[in-house]
Amino acid sequence: MVAYQHPAGLNPLQRYRQARGILRGTSRAANPAWYQSALDLDFQLHLRVDGTRLDSRLYDRRSNQWSDGPKLTEELATDLSLVPAFAAEVIATAQKASAASIGVVLHIADEFATSELKPELDNPGALGELRTAIEREPKSVLDDASVSVDESSWRLIPYPAAGSDLIATTICLGRGWDGFLQELRKFGEERNFPLITRAISAPLVCLLALPELKTEALSRPLIAVLPYPSFTLLAFFNEHGDLRLLRTLQHRGQRRPTNLRHAASTTAAALELADPEVFLFRIGTEADPQLAADLQLVFPAASIRETEWASTPYSLSDAIEPQIATSLAATPESPLASSHTFTVLRTDGWAIQDFLPVASEAAEVYPSKGEMKLLRAARYSLLAFAVVTLLALGTALVGIANLVRQPEWAFDTSSAQVGKQRLGYVTSERSKIEHWENLLQDRSKAWAAMELLGTLFPDQSGFLIKTYDHKVTTTTAPGQSKIGFSREWKITGLAREEALERLAMLNTRDGISSVFDQTAARTGNEAYRTDLPSRSLVVNIRTLENGSYRPGPVDQTSQLVESTYPFSFDLTLVQRFESSDTMAITATKAP
Amino acid sequence: MFYRQSIILFGIVTPLILSVLIIAGGFALKAKSVASFEEKQRLSKSADMDRIGALSIERDVSAKRPHLDRWSREMDRETSTVITSHLKEIGDMLPPKEFQQTAFERPTGGGTIGTSSAQNSSQVKLAFRGTFRSVQKAFLELESRMPQLQLQDLKIDPSSSSTSTLNFQVSYTAWEK
Repeated sequence: MVAYQHPAGLNPLQRYRQARGILRGTSRAANPAWYQSALDLDFQLHLRVDGTRLDSRLYDRRSNQWSDGPKLTEELATDLSLVPAFAAEVIATAQKASAASIGVVLHIADEFATSELKPELDNPGALGELRTAIEREPKSVLDDASVSVDESSWRLIPYPAAGSDLIATTICLGRGWDGFLQELRKFGEERNFPLITRAISAPLVCLLALPELKTEALSRPLIAVLPYPSFTLLAFFNEHGDLRLLRTLQHRGQRRPTNLRHAASTTAAALELADPEVFLFRIGTEADPQLAADLQLVFPAASIRETEWASTPYSLSDAIEPQIATSLAATPESPLASSHTFTVLRTDGWAIQDFLPVASEAAEVYPSKGEMKLLRAARYSLLAFAVVTLLALGTALVGIANLVRQPEWAFDTSSAQVGKQRLGYVTSERSKIEHWENLLQDRSKAWAAMELLGTLFPDQSGFLIKTYDHKVTTTTAPGQSKIGFSREWKITGLAREEALERLAMLNTRDGISSVFDQTAARTGNEAYRTDLPSRSLVVNIRTLENGSYRPGPVDQTSQLVESTYPFSFDLTLVQRFESSDTMAITATKAP
Repeated sequence: MFYRQSIILFGIVTPLILSVLIIAGGFALKAKSVASFEEKQRLSKSADMDRIGALSIERDVSAKRPHLDRWSREMDRETSTVITSHLKEIGDMLPPKEFQQTAFERPTGGGTIGTSSAQNSSQVKLAFRGTFRSVQKAFLELESRMPQLQLQDLKIDPSSSSTSTLNFQVSYTAWEK
């Protein structure tokens, strides 16, 4: 078995590891019995010790059956080496009964002593704090400072009766069976089988049977006399059924206390319990038959009632306290059961307080029930985180895998640069070609300009051309990438009568455009096209009479004779190319 | 309750943080991959377009490259020398009485066409005497051989010495590299 350490000596990570180890290595998370009371478990072993005999009875809550348990001996309390064998027998018995756990309830009936609280703690409102304090630091609560916490264990019992002088008393039991119970628990932990213990005071449990015995309406005070082999417990109740006082009378070797009738009568008188009803319990087989006779000396015989267990649910005479302890959930229907005392003794667990519990240092080694639940929740949350993480990662990886499968993923980015460089190179080359194509366009050629002259004035058409002046000018505009230009023709000459009609035709937009288009068609020179919106053509022809004209016969020889031409003319022709024209000149230098 | 804080810290908070970090890392990796993929996709498309564009331009350019090479060779030589050379060849092809070069000048400063562009250019001024058609042929031949010549101005006057010939004064802007 792993030796777990107290968490106070561990750092947070070590604590978490130890908690995880306990979660994995024990059934504490899966078996709720580890955190239940022994009396709440389905399968229970009730051990009873009263100084004269030791009883061992098994109780199966599922079938409500009692049976003999493993044999309990006095040596088990003194020789702890015998405990593992006993514990193994207990666990085997439980497993044989298909129980997942077993509660071991030790009914201590061989001792019962009361001691007083410190007078300054006599505050009814501090009962809860006193109950905790007496478990942890009994010396801080007890009036007697000489007590030994190693030898005894104390528990508080309240006196709920109104007007009571004391708020509570303390019950003291020895720790003689503490080692036995520790070994039992240790063995259960080693076997990973919940073996839950509880050591309770048998007389306190037995007192809870009083409402089953006193079923009539309450009208008189009550005295319960519980005779055990080594002591007799006297419990005094007022007429409302509330506990006034617990008093123990030690037998000191006798079968019964010698001062029983005196103690009972004087205490009743001191508590002003007039004409009390006395209930004499018969517990086990060793009860003294003279007890009733002894009490009849101080109380009327009619007031003394000896218990008749046959009329109660507790039919097993040698296991009265175990039967009472296992039937706490069922509240008897009697006026006494509804008294404040019996209500709190039953429901607040005063009567079944554990006198020999697990030491807090040992209990703290293991995570609490809430921490085990938290640990289990953390385990599931870890699983959930892992699933969510895996799903998210899976989604991301599937997404990445889908990307990787795309052909573009394998694309070498450096090849893009090569392609870009290639494009840049050919683009640059094209720009260079476009640049030179632009500059070398046939926008202004002498031979085509001469062809225009021939088209304007065909042979034998009655014209004599004297001068031809053609020039090209550019229209510079800063910031433009293309530069428009103008071509101007100034032609002077002479014309005969028959040429006037052509001159008139040439002096029109359509007429001159027609001549340009003919020239474009004949020369293939695009500069003479007039059908582009970025070009304009302006013509101006001035016709005058030829002052040197001499009328006469006209023949082939007179073609060059100026005096045979009645008219003179001058023609001005301007063709403009806008900067948007395809023949506009590129302003920049070659790239 | 010694274990509660440790369980919360190491059992819930730490796994949660680790889980969040791993998920964040996964999605960051995916985001990086997506960004890389989109970049590659963009580059791939761009490369395809560049390739198609380059092929298209290459087709166009390859057809014109011989011309550019020829123009380039032509413009590598000094303009006046080339004109002189071509005119001599052209003159040899035409009847001497119908085509005579009477002047050759290289005026300083560019013509209006040349000065309007940042491209290098020079100015050439020529004068001829000859018949209309022969000189036109000569111009056609010269301008075909030297496409860099842009006519700046042209004047045609009757010759005083002969009725069959004319005087031609022509100025060219010649593009240069």
